[in-house]
Amino acid sequence: MTPTEPLVRASAGQSAVRPPLPVKLVIAGGFGVGKTTAVGSISEIEPLTTEAAITEVAAGVDDLSHTPRKTTTTVAMDFGCITIDPTLKLYLFGTPGQERFGFMWDDIVEGAVGGLVIVDTRRLDDCYAAVDYFEHKQIPFAVAVNAFDGQVAHTLEDVRWALDVSDGVPLLVFDARERGSVRDALLVVLEQALARSER
Amino acid sequence: MADGRTPRGAGEDGVAPVGPAPAVRPFLVTAGRVAGGSGEASSGRSMPVETQLVATTDGIDALDRLSFEQHDIVAACRVPQSIAEIAARLRLHLNVVRVLAEDLRTAGQLSVHVPDSGVTHDASVLRRVIDGLRAIPDSRGVLRDTD
Repeated sequence: MTPTEPLVRASAGQSAVRPPLPVKLVIAGGFGVGKTTAVGSISEIEPLTTEAAITEVAAGVDDLSHTPRKTTTTVAMDFGCITIDPTLKLYLFGTPGQERFGFMWDDIVEGAVGGLVIVDTRRLDDCYAAVDYFEHKQIPFAVAVNAFDGQVAHTLEDVRWALDVSDGVPLLVFDARERGSVRDALLVVLEQALARSER
Repeated sequence: MADGRTPRGAGEDGVAPVGPAPAVRPFLVTAGRVAGGSGEASSGRSMPVETQLVATTDGIDALDRLSFEQHDIVAACRVPQSIAEIAARLRLHLNVVRVLAEDLRTAGQLSVHVPDSGVTHDASVLRRVIDGLRAIPDSRGVLRDTD
């Protein structure tokens, strides 16, 4: 039942093999916006699903200086990975969460080097929570408009205005079904992260 | 949001669900212990979902004596796996994996590699990821009709 993988024997109590350094990107956006499609387009494994704990801040709390009421729910989280080399692996975590405006994704996002917010221009408001979250957490991110059937309902300038993101946040159109397109979108996020690290 | 407008080719609906986690005893296997929402294990360290788990030689030697989830985790971690992968593949709650991983680490049967945020955010690491990603071709073994 268990795979018999070749092992590098190490001294007792030690890891038999050395794991890669995991670098994490988060892909966020509303339900059905293409997160899992994007992960699946570029991941070397079929996207896996697990249950993540989401802490939701109860609606109606507008004073962030006070501790809001929280409830914890679990949501399905899809993810995949790309082996860069034996010592380095990129993980892509697709995070759900669109309908509430105050949830926290800390369980998933902690340590992420950047985020990609996927937007469907027909349902722009679905991504506000993700944009707010990355801004609040000061995580480098880009906004990617998923061009369903090659169609984008609004111009990028309209989208930028509607989302009220700063000029420093890259905004692009991509196709979640196209591997090269997803790769390029992730590269934009990583360049943002790199620029942040060099600042 | 009106439902029924979920576009095709889209996110959650596009993937075959692994199936629900067993309804019984998600935390029975941890004797009721839970890890914090952000992965605060009993050691006080947090364990992000990408934390790498690797079986130790002691763990592999002890496989016959381990039972159920502990056995499955150590067996699966002959190849390094993230906490998220173990949770998905063994259909365990993330926080159950965190608790059990901490137990197994304490017992010397699993090594837990929490990524150093300073290292993963380092420019040299990010450049390597960028270079590696750039090398990925447009399609996975599928010839494009142009070019």
